[in-house]
Amino acid sequence: MVDTLFIGLSVGSVLLLVALGLAITYGAMGVINMAHGEMVMLGAYTTVMTSTWLGLGIWWSLPIAFVVTALVGLLIERLIIRRLYGRLLDTLLATWGVAILIQQMIRLEFGLSFFGIHIQGLGPGLQNMSIPDVLAGTINIFGAEFNKYRVFMILVCALMTGVTWFIMYKTSVGMQVRAIIRNARMAAACGIDVKRVNALTFAFGSGLAGVAGVLMAGFKTVFPDMSTPMVVDGFLVVVVGGIGSLIGSILAAGLLGQVNALVAWGHNDVIARAVVFAVVILTIVLKPNGLFAYKRR
Amino acid sequence: MLSVANIDSYYARSQILHRVTADIPTGEITAVLGRNGVGKTTFLKTIMGLTDRMSGQITLDGKPLGTEPTFRRARAGIAYVPQGREIVPDFTVRENILMGAFAAPPGEREVPPLVGELFPYLRDNMNRHGGLLSGGQQQQLAIARALAAKPSILLLDEPTEGIQPNIVEEIENIIIRLNKELGLTIILVEQNLEFARRAGDNFVMMEKGRIVASGRMSDLTDDLIHRHLAV
Repeated sequence: MVDTLFIGLSVGSVLLLVALGLAITYGAMGVINMAHGEMVMLGAYTTVMTSTWLGLGIWWSLPIAFVVTALVGLLIERLIIRRLYGRLLDTLLATWGVAILIQQMIRLEFGLSFFGIHIQGLGPGLQNMSIPDVLAGTINIFGAEFNKYRVFMILVCALMTGVTWFIMYKTSVGMQVRAIIRNARMAAACGIDVKRVNALTFAFGSGLAGVAGVLMAGFKTVFPDMSTPMVVDGFLVVVVGGIGSLIGSILAAGLLGQVNALVAWGHNDVIARAVVFAVVILTIVLKPNGLFAYKRR
Repeated sequence: MLSVANIDSYYARSQILHRVTADIPTGEITAVLGRNGVGKTTFLKTIMGLTDRMSGQITLDGKPLGTEPTFRRARAGIAYVPQGREIVPDFTVRENILMGAFAAPPGEREVPPLVGELFPYLRDNMNRHGGLLSGGQQQQLAIARALAAKPSILLLDEPTEGIQPNIVEEIENIIIRLNKELGLTIILVEQNLEFARRAGDNFVMMEKGRIVASGRMSDLTDDLIHRHLAV
């Protein structure tokens, strides 16, 4: 039982990293970013690449993947999303297109596979990332055995959530983001450069997804469409938690992760998935704005 | 001086302002008058760059602002107190005021001492949520937020609308003080003609998205009022 709750917690925490980025970007910009899952995948591939090409372990992959995915996110914002603000469905379709493009780029090794050039680590095949010995095996906490890697996952997610909270509530740029979420026009009239802040927010959210990707690489197989279910789950968390609410995302991720783990433990994964969806539907019916939507006037 | 020339302004495809031209004298209060729906609020929003699209020139002390994004206009010294106040309900009073300070010069991001002097209630309730304040207190907060930007021009959209009568006069006096003592240029959209006459140095009369008359407040004749304001 404790074991199951623990697995639920670790799954929920990765889910949270994915959802945080979505919650902030949707809250601040009204953009449904279907390419967000691909940032998770890119994070995972960055881990594989830093290991094969630079010989660096997972510790280094964390910051490197954050920077790589944040830059890719910035690029997507600059090239596409910036031109589509206020057009919800258009951003959804456009970012979905970007998602497919990114997947194919990895699968076709940036198109080089057509020329018979093979980049080790990319391509349509499955990749495995070995985890360092320190994180292998179990650790004994209060008499119970816990998988070390899952503990590591939870700690990294907690740290990144803490950093996000600090930025959002204790820094000037975070206050600008919160002001934009509440009232973008008034924020602009108060001298806030909404476009610049949005670009930074988008990059940060993408970076968080990249970190989630690094953690995924350590316990799941890495392949080009590994992240498609992740983005769906991420949106479920956002919808249940309430748009733009940090605390809502945290609790919703925990809730869905635990429901999934508990039902999977009692029955099986398929039933667990169905129950998760039932919980989400019930939430939308009872509280259409999510559990923690902030009150508008 | 703030000048607007040949301004057309639009929401989506509908044109609200037609060829609006006006000079707003520095250091004075200019009242924008007219019936409901003639484009007074849109006039202020256009100066702030908050309509969907505009054409024409806006210059502040010779500096062109017409193509600048909203946040640059704010940083150039124009502060906006919108109709309905639009304070953030789950920000504290302090956060709401500091939100305005993003338009202030770097290093001057603070709650101005003047705010405490003008609005003792706000000074004593800095940690209350904005949404818990009464209409009049929210109006004070919206003005405080604008002052935090250290502006040279204040755009006020119906500052006395929908607030309890005992606070109306207090806010009116504060508006006059901001102009007389601090030398702020104020553009005041006002339905209350009596207050507009008392406070305003100049007037601009609007009808159907156009400016139909303007001049010194002493030139505002009963005939003009009858023609453009009587319902």
